[in-house]
Amino acid sequence: MDEAGTQRINVSGTPAGAVGLRDLAARLRRRPTAMAALCVILLYGAAAFGTWGYTLLCRWTDRESIAERARMEDRYLPPSTRHWLGTDYRGRDVLWRSIFATRTAFQVGILAGAVSIAVGVSLGALGGYFGGAVDAAVVWVYSTFAAMPSLLFILSFSLVLGRGTTAVYLGIGLTSWVGLCRVIRAEFIRLRSAPYVEAARAQGIGHGRIILRHILPNALHLVIVFFTIRFAAAIMTEVIVSFLGLGVQLEPSWGVMIAEAKERLWQGVWWELAGATTAMFGLVLAVNILGDALRDVLDPRLRGV
Amino acid sequence: MTETQLKNVAGAAEAGVPATPLIEVRDLKVWFPIRRGVVARTVGYVRAVDGVSLKIFRGETVGLVGESGCGKTTLGRSILRLEKAAAGTVCLEGRDLLALSERQLRPLRRRMQMVFQDPFSCLNPRMTAMTIVTEGLRQHNLLEGDRAEVAANLLSEVGLDSDALYRYPHEFSGGQRQRLSIARALSLHPDFIVCDEPVSALDVSVQAQVINLLLDLRARHGLSYLFISHDLSVVRLISHRVAVMYLGQIVETGPAADVIGAPLHPYTQALVSAIPVPGRKKKKRILLEGDLPSPVHPPPGCRFHTRCHRAMDICSRREPKLYAQRGRRVQCHLYESKLEAVED
Repeated sequence: MDEAGTQRINVSGTPAGAVGLRDLAARLRRRPTAMAALCVILLYGAAAFGTWGYTLLCRWTDRESIAERARMEDRYLPPSTRHWLGTDYRGRDVLWRSIFATRTAFQVGILAGAVSIAVGVSLGALGGYFGGAVDAAVVWVYSTFAAMPSLLFILSFSLVLGRGTTAVYLGIGLTSWVGLCRVIRAEFIRLRSAPYVEAARAQGIGHGRIILRHILPNALHLVIVFFTIRFAAAIMTEVIVSFLGLGVQLEPSWGVMIAEAKERLWQGVWWELAGATTAMFGLVLAVNILGDALRDVLDPRLRGV
Repeated sequence: MTETQLKNVAGAAEAGVPATPLIEVRDLKVWFPIRRGVVARTVGYVRAVDGVSLKIFRGETVGLVGESGCGKTTLGRSILRLEKAAAGTVCLEGRDLLALSERQLRPLRRRMQMVFQDPFSCLNPRMTAMTIVTEGLRQHNLLEGDRAEVAANLLSEVGLDSDALYRYPHEFSGGQRQRLSIARALSLHPDFIVCDEPVSALDVSVQAQVINLLLDLRARHGLSYLFISHDLSVVRLISHRVAVMYLGQIVETGPAADVIGAPLHPYTQALVSAIPVPGRKKKKRILLEGDLPSPVHPPPGCRFHTRCHRAMDICSRREPKLYAQRGRRVQCHLYESKLEAVED
């Protein structure tokens, strides 16, 4: 075993700094569905960034974006070769709007995920590591948050902060950290007495460094998996909030599109609803599949090790 | 450490020369509360360490032996304050460690290190060998010069190649990991290292290598060890003095050769008779009957009387005093008339 190990290092000649990531990539590559899901997500990501850049460029050069180009005479056109998914109530192209809405979805998913990870990880780490009164306080806070209906919380948040994206991101982030906080707290309780953490204590390493450098990297897989789950959930929450008229106002959003589509759905105008929901369905499904695969790959307890 | 030096240490201790011990444990008690019910009421205590006194001098290795569950590891851990003591003192060169706050203790932690029993779980799986051995130095602001160079020197000191620098613990074998763990302990230039069964998880061939490494390092750096083991033949090899522990108390101490060569306490006699000796066909063994009694309700009188092959009436009634003889101490009623009782 010794010799094999030494040889492997010498042959590759590179410091094994990326073992974790390389390992992860290799294990993911053996899962075709996960790889397909990853490709779909990358495609959506490209769409999000591409349309974002395009929108900024249009604003810069004072031109009208194709997602905003409205012609009143083209209202409610059914799908055709000119408008593949028809037009909406202001004569805007549904396909383009569905694609442009990807950016809103990514923005909500990433920012709400970041907020909820920041809150969940820091509270869970403090409670789990220090225990005692700190832990009791953390448990009290997350129990309180878990007891509040999240949609009401988000709605009241956006009423206080005013309509718009910031309130939605913050609201979604602040209502979705409890699950992660619980899991991180449990992991810290388990790892705070791990022999390598004791070894660090015996070396006189400070609490902050033990939390950040010794325990957190060993709990990071939970954060990654949680992020994929929350990313998809945040997108859906945004759609619901926008549908209720409290989310994104001026930019294309799947929730706003669905809300608008319901007005003429009874007259057989199905394409706007179809466009928005299909686009959302594709992204959420892909993120969920990738999240499942990541959990299988990253969580040693599920790998049966 | 040479034999003469060793004799000097032992001689100084015996002659009562006022040398401050490097580590002095006095009447240490580590009790773990047993909580039960919804309100977590304390219903009793596991008396893992129950009134232990022990001195370790500079350059000296004390072997701590006893069967599983007798409190050896807890004693080692509570000296480093990884376990909270209920009573007693632990002094490092006369300074009581148990009275210090965690923050005050931190700079002193540098001087006492630990090598753990399980080389697989005591190294952080997400850290490279370089980070593992230089982390403590960075914490104590002792890192001078190039980190990789410092780490490579430490690794070579424990017999690892410098191409191990960027490897992760799972890429090492058990023996190599234990070397890495020793390098980590060594990095802070400690005076004292608690070796908690450092070889019991290793193959016999690798055990010898690690023992030799510990002996080399002791000679080179003048280290003191508290060497915890249940393997008397390993202890005999490395220790100057031996302390035998039974159910949270030390029942016999003395120079390693004497204690293992001519044990006084019946428990030590039983342990020594169980050492396998190659070549000897049949030998008389003292078999201990039954299990270790519960440390929650230790037997009254002498704790060993329930399993002792030489138990007398008095043993179950009165706790034996400590009797001394030429650097040796034994806690047993058998020596009441033969040896002089001492207060420790």
